[in-house]
Amino acid sequence: MGTVHARSLDPLPMQGPELGVQPDDIEAPGIEQEPKQEVLENRNVVVQQVHIDGLGRTKEDLLTYEIADVFRAKSLIDVMKKSHEARQKLLRLGIFRKVEVLIDTSRGEGALPNGLDVTFEVTELRRLTGSYNTMVGNNEGSMVLGLKLPNALGRAEKLTFQFSYGTKETSYGLSFFKPQPGNFERNISLNLYKVMGQFPWSSLRETDRGVSAELTFPMWKTSQTLKWEGVWRELGCLARTPSFAIRKESGHTLKSSLSHAMVIDTRNSSILPRRGGLLRIHQELAGFTGGDVSFLKEDFEIQLNKSLFWDSVLSASLWSGLVLPIGDKPTSIADRFYLGGPTSIRGFSMYSVGPQSEGDYLGGEAYWAGGLHLYTPLPFRPAKGGFGDLFRTHFFLNAGNLCNLNYGEGPKAHLKKLAECVRWSYGLGVLLRLGNIARLELNYCIPMGVQSGDRICDGVQFGAGIRFL
Amino acid sequence: MNVCVFIPTAAEPWPENATLYQPLKEDQILLSDCASSLAVQAYLRMCGLPVQVVCRANAEYMSPSGKIPFIHVGNQVVSELGPIVQFTKAKGHSLSDGLDDVQRAEMKAYMELVNNMLLTAELFIQWCDDATAAEISRPRYSSPYSWPLNNILAYQKQWEVRRKMNAIGWGGKTLEQVYEDVSQCCQALSQRLGTQPYFFSKQPTELDALVFGHLFTIITTRLTSGELAERIKGFSNLLSFCRRIEQTYFEDKTKNTKLSKFV
Amino acid sequence: MATPDELFCWEGDFGLPSVSTECLLVLAYAQFAGAPLKVHKISNPWRSPSGSLPALRTNQNETLTRPADIIIHLRKQKFNADYDLSAKEGADSLAFISLMEEKLVPALIYTFWVEPKNYVELTRSWYSEHMPFPLSLFLPGRMQRHQLDKLRLLREDASLEAGDELEKELYRDAMECINLLSQRLGSQKFFFGDSPSSLDAYVFGHLAPLLKSRLPNAKLQQHLKSVENLTHFCSDILLLYFPRDARENSNQKPSSAAEAGGDGDEVPYKRRKQLLSALFALGAMLSYAFLTGIVSIQHQQGALLEPPHHNPEQDEEDG
Repeated sequence: MGTVHARSLDPLPMQGPELGVQPDDIEAPGIEQEPKQEVLENRNVVVQQVHIDGLGRTKEDLLTYEIADVFRAKSLIDVMKKSHEARQKLLRLGIFRKVEVLIDTSRGEGALPNGLDVTFEVTELRRLTGSYNTMVGNNEGSMVLGLKLPNALGRAEKLTFQFSYGTKETSYGLSFFKPQPGNFERNISLNLYKVMGQFPWSSLRETDRGVSAELTFPMWKTSQTLKWEGVWRELGCLARTPSFAIRKESGHTLKSSLSHAMVIDTRNSSILPRRGGLLRIHQELAGFTGGDVSFLKEDFEIQLNKSLFWDSVLSASLWSGLVLPIGDKPTSIADRFYLGGPTSIRGFSMYSVGPQSEGDYLGGEAYWAGGLHLYTPLPFRPAKGGFGDLFRTHFFLNAGNLCNLNYGEGPKAHLKKLAECVRWSYGLGVLLRLGNIARLELNYCIPMGVQSGDRICDGVQFGAGIRFL
Repeated sequence: MNVCVFIPTAAEPWPENATLYQPLKEDQILLSDCASSLAVQAYLRMCGLPVQVVCRANAEYMSPSGKIPFIHVGNQVVSELGPIVQFTKAKGHSLSDGLDDVQRAEMKAYMELVNNMLLTAELFIQWCDDATAAEISRPRYSSPYSWPLNNILAYQKQWEVRRKMNAIGWGGKTLEQVYEDVSQCCQALSQRLGTQPYFFSKQPTELDALVFGHLFTIITTRLTSGELAERIKGFSNLLSFCRRIEQTYFEDKTKNTKLSKFV
Repeated sequence: MATPDELFCWEGDFGLPSVSTECLLVLAYAQFAGAPLKVHKISNPWRSPSGSLPALRTNQNETLTRPADIIIHLRKQKFNADYDLSAKEGADSLAFISLMEEKLVPALIYTFWVEPKNYVELTRSWYSEHMPFPLSLFLPGRMQRHQLDKLRLLREDASLEAGDELEKELYRDAMECINLLSQRLGSQKFFFGDSPSSLDAYVFGHLAPLLKSRLPNAKLQQHLKSVENLTHFCSDILLLYFPRDARENSNQKPSSAAEAGGDGDEVPYKRRKQLLSALFALGAMLSYAFLTGIVSIQHQQGALLEPPHHNPEQDEEDG
């Protein structure tokens, strides 16, 4: 059972594990008809059998999809190329630690003179993998325990459990991920979680307990995600004496929302792209499926990158969003937008722009933010081709606004409101790429267009994050 | 404004926009919270301090101590009768200045008697008597929330109260024993009151506000069984005491206050 | 009355007949009412019929644990210290007992069980020295957690921890309560004249441990010591009603130290605790077995599911 015998050029095999159990009974007749060639030539080979060795828990039918292309190869080069692709696909499933490919001529009964056998030798990941981390933040430490079943049911389903136990808070998440066999991009995932967050700029503490179901599928050049989420949110005051506006937001709410996200990402890297663009549109409708929070939220992000002279890159991005309360309840502080800080409008303190009460920022119902960056390599390019390539210098110009809209007024008034009191800033800095997931920035910023109530960070500002304007 | 009983000597200005927060009056508030809220309202009326009553579904979570009611005066937020009394005292409004030391000690002791026995008995009946919890307390407590959050919060509250009852040794009591405690407490209050108009002769104190808040709410609230109210109705001096305070401090204001509809 | 009721309570120390508030107030009430009890002073709560202290085993073989229940039981046996009280005095007793429960008890729990220095140097060391060996390892800690839980429930703050702010709040209430009691007592010998009543037993039970134990952090104790009439009130009761214990204290200087706010009901967990230790051992063994089991399961499955893996040649020949 550990070996897959998939037939070449069969229409994609039907579902079911019986395939491969008795492989010899369903020898495809279409292949056998051309045993005319004596010598193995690059030009015309037939892949007769594909074996996958080393399977334990993995169901074979899953793999037949991934390796089906190998049977379509017509020349040795093609076989190697297809096998390599198949190997990549197998690795992407995230269930094998190692995949090796062996190509050999067919042997044994019924072997064709130009027949090839391809063998994938795979090493499965353990049934259960675990991880353990400790994290130290300002004034608090936490321990993160992770458990993962990388191949829970044999078809690349992943079951992950993360538990973080901290001095101040405990969070956990359990998620189940299942790709469609043969179409890894199309997948569903189910999540169950509890997260606690502290937002000192709003003197707010939030505890979320929720379930969500997500369906992701590719469509044309986009990746689409449909999601339902039910969250029980508990808001409380972080400080002993928060502003009364924050007190009013305290308590429990239940949000049930449907959301849709569409992403087109042609960038070559998500952290320091050199070319390509990103379009992300996200919309969320809450209250339609129950719960006691009702709003419609629209949000988009555009980023364009262009390589210029001397390895420098010009990058422009625009974010904008709007949340519309439905019914007579105002929006909750947890659903509004926040702006400011080293990952959005630099030169302002974290999320400290816009409507506020006694120093607690309340967020806004509409925002826009734009950024223009010129990324260049470090001056004089030290350690070029090595360590130095992790660094960039950049010049930036950020602008944006965050406010509440009065929906009685027309769109013209809204645009006018968003266009007045624009906060902007410019400056330069150095940034460091951490892997391909995060980046650190050290900037010298000059904030402009500051409104009363905004908290600024004039001069040197440090930032870390995974998403940047 | 109605009768100003005590005219403070060095009264700081009491802001016009002082607000008292409590849960939703019609659908949500429970007996114990209603009693505490009424006690504070009575106290403020006795002091002649105007306050606007605002009902909010999340009042419990807005309160700094998690307890009902709380007042928002200027930029300060104070919850529960005890701290509110101290707060008004700091602003120059007090009802108990005329008492001597022994009287003040007795007043504080009787206030704790009400908190320790009446309030606890109210909580016990609300959350530990299965019929009351199922028919009144859980549905009302969770009325602002949608399913399934309503059940979660109601059972969570019930569980907390039951744990507290166990911790203070009330866990094993039967409903009958609790009614007996209420009788005992009322007996004590009735004895202390005697034939005086207020607990300390002619002028009301915070003790009068507290006793009024609890007794009046118990008498005028319909529960699954009328036993609790019956226990109080046995003490005629307490009943006329409630009526007296109601007439003096509540009735003349508007005809539509929640109190007058029970009269 | 054939056999007297039996009362189980914590041992005494520091010149007190018992270190626990609840035991002390029951003992005091019994003395005031002249109830003939057979008193067992023990230091192993598991030897009490209810598993907690105090406990009263009546001659009908009932077991009562709440001090209020015990007092009611004694009253029914015609041992009533409140016989002479007027109705108003009875009402006052009830009120002042409530006052102590609301304002003093939380601070006492804090002083003896939550304040870290006092707990480690006084309460824990006293209990672990007096309990028999295996219990002394874990029972004091259990009692401490139980008391902390109780304080959290009383204050309705689930994340409450020892701290200056909390201490200040609790002590402020407690000091006020002590002052009010002192004002009510005035210059009388007892709260209601010349003979002691149940209120005197309650006040004595709550204040005597605070007065007599050697607390490293003695803020609240200092305050009590400065209130003369209550200090005398406690010493007088000790001299009059517990002369033996009071004398012991003056003769010997007890080495170590301790005191209990109220030891409540930690021992109903007796069986559960025994069960838990057994379960823990079983669990440890099982989890070890399970962990190794996973490994072996994996191997077995590999073997079961992959026969072709071991003889691929044969497979290929077939194809």
